[in-house]
Amino acid sequence: MKRFLLKGILKDKGRSLLPVIVVSLGAMLTVFLYSWVKGVMGDSIEMSSNFDTGDVKVVTKAYSLQEGQYPNDLALLDVEQLLKKLKAEFPDMDWAPRIRFGALADFPDSLGETRAQGPVAGWAVDLLSKDSGEPERFNLPAAIVRGRMPEKRGEVLLAENLATRFDAGAGDTFTLFGTTMEGGFTFVNYTVSGTIRFGTTGLDRGAILMDLQDARAAFGMEDAAGEILGFLPVFHYDDRMAQEVVSRFDTLLESENSLLDQDPEYSPVMLTLGRQAGMAEMLVYAEAISGMLIFLFVLAMSIVLWNAGLLGGLRRYTEFGVRIALGEDKGHIYRSLLWEALMIGSIGSVVGTFVGVALVYIFHNIGFNFSALLQNASILMPGIVRPAITPAIYYIGFIPGVVSMLLGNALAGRGIYKRQTSRLFNELEV
Amino acid sequence: MKTSVLLFTLISFTGIFSLQAQESNEAATILEKVDKNLSAQNRIFESSMTIHGRRTSRTITSKSRTRGEKEALTEYLSPASEAGTKMLKLENQLWIYTPSADRTIQISGHMLRQSVMGSDLSYEDMMDDRKLTEVYSAEVIARDTLRGERVVLLQLTARSSDVAYPVQKMWIDAEKFVPLRQEMYARSGQLLKRVDLFDVRRIQNRWFPMRMVYRDMLKTGGGTEFTVTSIAFDTLIPEHIFSKASLR
Amino acid sequence: MLTFTLSFKNLMGNGKRTWLNVSVLSVAFVVIVFFNGLLDGWNKQAETDTIAWETGYGRLSHPLYDPYDPYTLADAHGIPGLPQEVIAGEQALPILVAQASAYPNGRLVNIMLKGIDPAQSLLALPSRWLDSLPEGIRETTIPAIIGKRMAESAGLEAGDRTVIRWRDVNGTFDAREVTIAGIFRTNVPTVDAGQLWIPLETLRQMTGMYKETTYFVIGEELAGSSLWIGDKAGYGKWDYTPLEVLMEDIENVVEAKKGGMMVISALLLCIALLAIFDTQVLSIFRRQKEIGTYMALGMTRAKVITVFTIEGTIHALLAILLGAVWGIPLLALLRNYGIPMPDMSDQAGLAIGDRVIPAYSMLMILSTVLLVVITSLIVSYMPARKIAKMQPTQALKGKLV
Repeated sequence: MKRFLLKGILKDKGRSLLPVIVVSLGAMLTVFLYSWVKGVMGDSIEMSSNFDTGDVKVVTKAYSLQEGQYPNDLALLDVEQLLKKLKAEFPDMDWAPRIRFGALADFPDSLGETRAQGPVAGWAVDLLSKDSGEPERFNLPAAIVRGRMPEKRGEVLLAENLATRFDAGAGDTFTLFGTTMEGGFTFVNYTVSGTIRFGTTGLDRGAILMDLQDARAAFGMEDAAGEILGFLPVFHYDDRMAQEVVSRFDTLLESENSLLDQDPEYSPVMLTLGRQAGMAEMLVYAEAISGMLIFLFVLAMSIVLWNAGLLGGLRRYTEFGVRIALGEDKGHIYRSLLWEALMIGSIGSVVGTFVGVALVYIFHNIGFNFSALLQNASILMPGIVRPAITPAIYYIGFIPGVVSMLLGNALAGRGIYKRQTSRLFNELEV
Repeated sequence: MKTSVLLFTLISFTGIFSLQAQESNEAATILEKVDKNLSAQNRIFESSMTIHGRRTSRTITSKSRTRGEKEALTEYLSPASEAGTKMLKLENQLWIYTPSADRTIQISGHMLRQSVMGSDLSYEDMMDDRKLTEVYSAEVIARDTLRGERVVLLQLTARSSDVAYPVQKMWIDAEKFVPLRQEMYARSGQLLKRVDLFDVRRIQNRWFPMRMVYRDMLKTGGGTEFTVTSIAFDTLIPEHIFSKASLR
Repeated sequence: MLTFTLSFKNLMGNGKRTWLNVSVLSVAFVVIVFFNGLLDGWNKQAETDTIAWETGYGRLSHPLYDPYDPYTLADAHGIPGLPQEVIAGEQALPILVAQASAYPNGRLVNIMLKGIDPAQSLLALPSRWLDSLPEGIRETTIPAIIGKRMAESAGLEAGDRTVIRWRDVNGTFDAREVTIAGIFRTNVPTVDAGQLWIPLETLRQMTGMYKETTYFVIGEELAGSSLWIGDKAGYGKWDYTPLEVLMEDIENVVEAKKGGMMVISALLLCIALLAIFDTQVLSIFRRQKEIGTYMALGMTRAKVITVFTIEGTIHALLAILLGAVWGIPLLALLRNYGIPMPDMSDQAGLAIGDRVIPAYSMLMILSTVLLVVITSLIVSYMPARKIAKMQPTQALKGKLV
C-alpha cells in the first residue's frame, strides 16, 4: 500500500505538489529561524568571548580571584611552554595570550613636560603576527576612526574619545606610566597609529590597544601573560564543548607536572565563559529567550501546517466518497490518508530541512553584514550576524513538518467516519 | 579621721593631677627628643627597600637628598630597569623623570592619593614629612620593655584633622629616644600599620634606626623592609638639586 | 463595490472553513506581535534594568564627577542647593561615592563605597536590607549590601564581615568592619562589580562629608521638570544628564542588533504569508468551476482576480480583528506579569524580578498589521493570477491548467 501511495504522491502532482511545497517552506523557515535566533541571541556572548572571557580562559588561580583589577603580578609564567601544550592537546582551537593592564597615559607638550594626563585601561594582544586572529576579534581594522592599524612595535591604538580629550591623533607620542609585573615603575613612549571606537562610553573614555610584545617589554613580562584565551572551533559559544575542554585540560595538568607552579596559587586554571563573572546569567537568559522564541515560532508554524493538512484532507472528501462507494473500508481510507500525510510531511520536511540547512551553512560562512544599517558604522561590535550551526537544525524542521501535517490530516480524516457515504460523495460537489 | 581621709584624697588627687601634667610634659619632651634624632635640616642617604610581594621579593636601592620637610630628590640606583629614575618633591608637587622614556611626568591632583605602584604608601604619604611634634600631642601611657630594651610607650593624638593617621602608638627607647616600634591606627581605633625599627646607631650626635620593617596589618603578606645603608645629616646640598633642572 | 460584496459573501458562505483559516491566521498574528514584543522587551531589558537599578530617569551630578575616572571622586562631592520641593519630593535620590579598600581574607581589594538611603524606593537596589541586621550586630558594624559579582570576586557571603579602610575628607585614614547584610543579583554590572553599598548617613559621617552628595538619581516625575531646561544656577550649577545620554551605550548596542532582529521579524511574517498563500492556492484550485461560472457570466479576468485577492486580504483583516479580540487581553496580561526567567538558585544571591517584560509599541503593532495586510494582498494576488491563464470552458469543467 505504501509503495502505491508514494507512487501516487510522486505522479499526481496536483494532489501532492502544493502540500509538499508548503511543508518544505515551513520546515525551511523553521530551520533558518532557529539557527538565526541562536545566532543573534549569541552575539552579546560572542562579544564577551572576543573581548573578555574567551570561550575558555587560562589564568592563575590567584589571578582569577582578582580579575577585575588586572593583577599582573599574579600572571602566568612560562607561557610559551603552556601554549605549546595547549596547541598540541587542542589543535583545532585558537589560543591567544593577552595582558590586561591599567596605567596612566601622559601626553607631553613641546618641551616634554606633562600637558595632560589620565588613567587608561588596556589590552595587549597579538596585533602584529600575520596569522593572528586578534584583530578580527576586536573588529579591527573596521573600528578604526582615524589613522591606521599598528604596523610595528611601539605603535598603539587609542580610543577615539580618549584621543580627542587629550587632543592627540595619529602620529602623536605619549608616555605610559605603569607598574611592572614585579611592582616597579615603568615608563614607555608609544606612538598613536590610529584611534578606534568601541561603542561603549567606558571603553571609549580610556581604552588602549597595543601589541602583546610591547606590553611584555613594558611590564617586565617576558614569556608571561595575564591570561590565555581559548576559542573553540565553532563560531557560537557551546558550553558543553567548553566544559569538555576544561576537563581535558584538568587531566592534562594532572599528568604534566611541569605545567604546575610550585605554589598552587600560581598554577594555571581554565575557566569556561559560562563560569566567568556575570556570564552564567547571560547564557541562561539568552538560552531561555531564544528557546521561547523558537517555541513560539514552531507553535505558529505548526498551527499553519496543521491547517494546511486539515484543508488538504477536507478537500478530498469527494474522493473518499467515491472510494467508500467502491467498497473501500473506512479504516483503510483513514490509514492511507495518514500514511500519505506522513509521506508528504516527511518529503516536505526533508526538502525544507535540506534547503534550510544549506542556507544556514551559506550564510554562516558569508555572514549577514548589517553594518551599513548602523549609524556609527565603526564600533567594535561587529555588524555581521551569522546563523548558528547546532545539531538541532537537522531535526527542528520535522516538528512542524511531519507532526502538524499528520495531526491536521488526522483531524480532517475523522469526517470519514462521521459522515454518510452519500453525503461525503456530495460534500464538495459544485 | 575624716580630715585625714579628705586630706589623703586631696593629696592623691593633686598627686594624680601633677603626675599627669608631668607625664604629658614628659611625653612632649620625649617626642621632641625623637624629632631631634630623626629629622634634620637636610639629609643625604642611601637605602635599599625590599618589598615582599605575594610571589616575589624585590629590592630597590636609591639615593635621597632632602631639605627640610618640603623638598626631596630621590634617585633610583638599582635594579637596572629603574636605575636613573628620579623623583622630585617640591612643596606639594611631585615630578618623576625617567631616562628610559626621557620624560618628566608630573603626578598631579587626584593621583597623589593613589598608592604608589601597588604599595601601601600613596604619593601624598611619601610627601608628608612633618615633624611629629608639629602634628601630634603625646601622652605617656606605659613603660615596658621591647626586644630587651626599656621603652616608653607614647600615644600620639593628631592635633590637626589633615593627617593620615589620627592616632599612633610609639614604643620609644628610653635611653636613645628612637622609636623601636610604631603603630598607626584609624579613627575607629583599628590598627592599620606597624613599623618595627631596628639597628639603632650613633650617627653625628644622634641615634638613628637603620632598618625598618613596615607591615600593613589588614593584609596578609610579607611587608616591606627598608634599610639605610649610609646617611649624613646637615651637609651642604647645592640649591640647584631641588629644582626641575636636576631631574634630567 | 460589487467585487468586495461578492468576496465577502463568498467568505461568509464558506462558513466554518473561513473561520478556521481566520482563527489560524489570528493565532499567527498574535504570536507575531508577542514575539516582536518579546524581542523588543529583551532588547529593552538592559535599558529597563539600568533605569531601575542605576540611573533612574536622569542624573544630577557634581561638576567634577566623572563616573569613568575614580580619581575625581575625592573632590566630586558637595551640596547643590536644590530647590526644597525637589529634595522633599523623593524624586532625587542622593548618592555619595568614596574610594576605599576592602580586605576580604587578607587580600586588598579596591572598592567603591556608595551611600544610599536605606528607605529609598527610587531604585530597585534592595537598600532596605541595610536595616535588616539584627540588634547587637547593628551597633558594632556597618551594614553593607553587595552584588553577586562582587560577592564572588571578593569571596564574601551574606553575614560575612570584612574590614574596609577609607580616607575621610581630610585624607585621614579610618577603618571599620562591615557586615554583608545581603547579596543581590542584578543584570546591571555597574552597580555590582567592585562596589559596596552602605547607608548614606553612615558614609557621610565616615567621610566627614556631612549632607554632601556626589550625584542624585532623578525619578521619572522630576526628569520632565522644567528645572533642567533653564539656567544651571537653578540646580546649583551641577551637571544634569538626561536619560537619552545615560542610555546612549545601550541604544548603540540595540541599534547594532537591529539588522538581526529585522530578519527574525521578517521570518515570522512568512508564517502568516505561508498560511494565506496556502488557503488561497487551495481555494483557487478547489473553486475552478466557480471561476469558470464567473467568467461565463461575463466577468472580466481582472475582476475575478480582484475578487479572489480581496478574499485573501479579507482573511487577513478578519484575522487581525479576531486576533485583537483575544490577543489584546492576553498580551496585556503577559506584559503585566512578565515572562519569568529560569530560576538560578544554584547561584549565590537572591533573585529579584527575573522577568522579561514584553514591550509592545504602537508603532510595532501598527507596522506589523500594515505589513501583514499589504503582503497578504500580494500573496493573495499571486495565486489568483493563475486565474488569468484559465480557459473559461476548462475552468467550468474543473480542469486545472
